[in-house]
Amino acid sequence: MVRLITHNLLACHAKGCTTNNFPLVFKDVQLEIRESEMNPEFLRNFYPKLEWDALVKTAEQLGDTSLPKTQPPIESVDEEFLKALHHVLLEIHVEEGAMTCPNCEHRYGIVSGIPNMLLAEHEVA
Amino acid sequence: MPALIPIEVPADASSYEASTVHEVYDAIAPHFSQTRYKPWPVISQFLSSLSAGSIGLDSGTGNGKYLPLPVERPGSVWTIGMDRSGELLKLARYAGSTSGSGSVVRREVVLGDALDVCWREGAFDYAISIATIHHLSTPERRRRAIKALLRSVSPSHGRVLIYVWAVDQDELSKRTIPETSTSDSSISKGRDALVPWVLSEQPGKKSEPSGSAKVYQRYYHFFESGELKELTCEAATELGLQIGPPPQDGEGNTRGVEIVQDSWERSNFYIELKLWEV
Ligand SMILES: [Zn+2]
Repeated sequence: MVRLITHNLLACHAKGCTTNNFPLVFKDVQLEIRESEMNPEFLRNFYPKLEWDALVKTAEQLGDTSLPKTQPPIESVDEEFLKALHHVLLEIHVEEGAMTCPNCEHRYGIVSGIPNMLLAEHEVA
Repeated sequence: MPALIPIEVPADASSYEASTVHEVYDAIAPHFSQTRYKPWPVISQFLSSLSAGSIGLDSGTGNGKYLPLPVERPGSVWTIGMDRSGELLKLARYAGSTSGSGSVVRREVVLGDALDVCWREGAFDYAISIATIHHLSTPERRRRAIKALLRSVSPSHGRVLIYVWAVDQDELSKRTIPETSTSDSSISKGRDALVPWVLSEQPGKKSEPSGSAKVYQRYYHFFESGELKELTCEAATELGLQIGPPPQDGEGNTRGVEIVQDSWERSNFYIELKLWEV
């Protein structure tokens, strides 16, 4: 599956592509929304590790504008906010499509929810 | 158990692994998966020791049997599975789902190479590599895979656990590792061999070869004692990491890796690492 939790970690690793290689940009996506159980403890502790700007921007591209542009401090995070965060990170599934690198434009395909991050030997750094 | 075949790895390691590892796992995936459901205790303990909110990478996740862990507090950490076999990933993405009852749990899985880092460097809190690096057919490639693990986790607190098959196999595993007569033991450590996988016509049953069974040969590098630690130290050094615990009188701007455990369990060697930064 490619959910935004994974997308927030993936970066282009093509040969020579070391700057502006994150976040990958979704293209031609088919989405599936699937409800899942929320784990508030996981979300609170994971929260500071997120690349917030990338998450908000990518969620917007997928049609979800529920998150604020600036990351609220952890102290102000309430249950309602965690629900929105849970939905963005873990309930939006990108089933088909691709992700392209903002720098080198390499295209990583997504088939049946599985992103293909393999590169040919000559493309690897 | 059919005999293992000692081999010498041909020059093109990458295409050799494609035919003796990746293609084999794609072919045997469902059958293989039925035999790989029980997590090993040391790995379960490692995953249970992680704090809530941890995010991790399972490099070479296979059928994803470690993705649902820790069982006692599901969902408190997230492990993302990566593998070279698309067929195994098709199983891994539902790892831990109970068949029949209709409760489907979805995992995050990525088709990727253990030699590369397709992530923001240092983004993970932990990484595990279980029974994966022994499928890489040269010391350079095995070292590169360890470097990829070290680069994937946080330089300040990342934890890594690596498991590989050992030359010294215990009685239960019934494997005997052939001596490699051809290679010069002074330069090459461990032993290289092909391990047969018998795919019988009967689903779910591993049987002796018969007319209806197909035998696949998988490449393995069997590690010798001390080899995994040595390879790890070489990988760490190449990344500019000090080896050992963090210094008490932190000088600043120093990175390192501490070897937390370096041990042997049931036919496997394993090593646990913790990165630090002062
Ligand atoms: Zn790129």
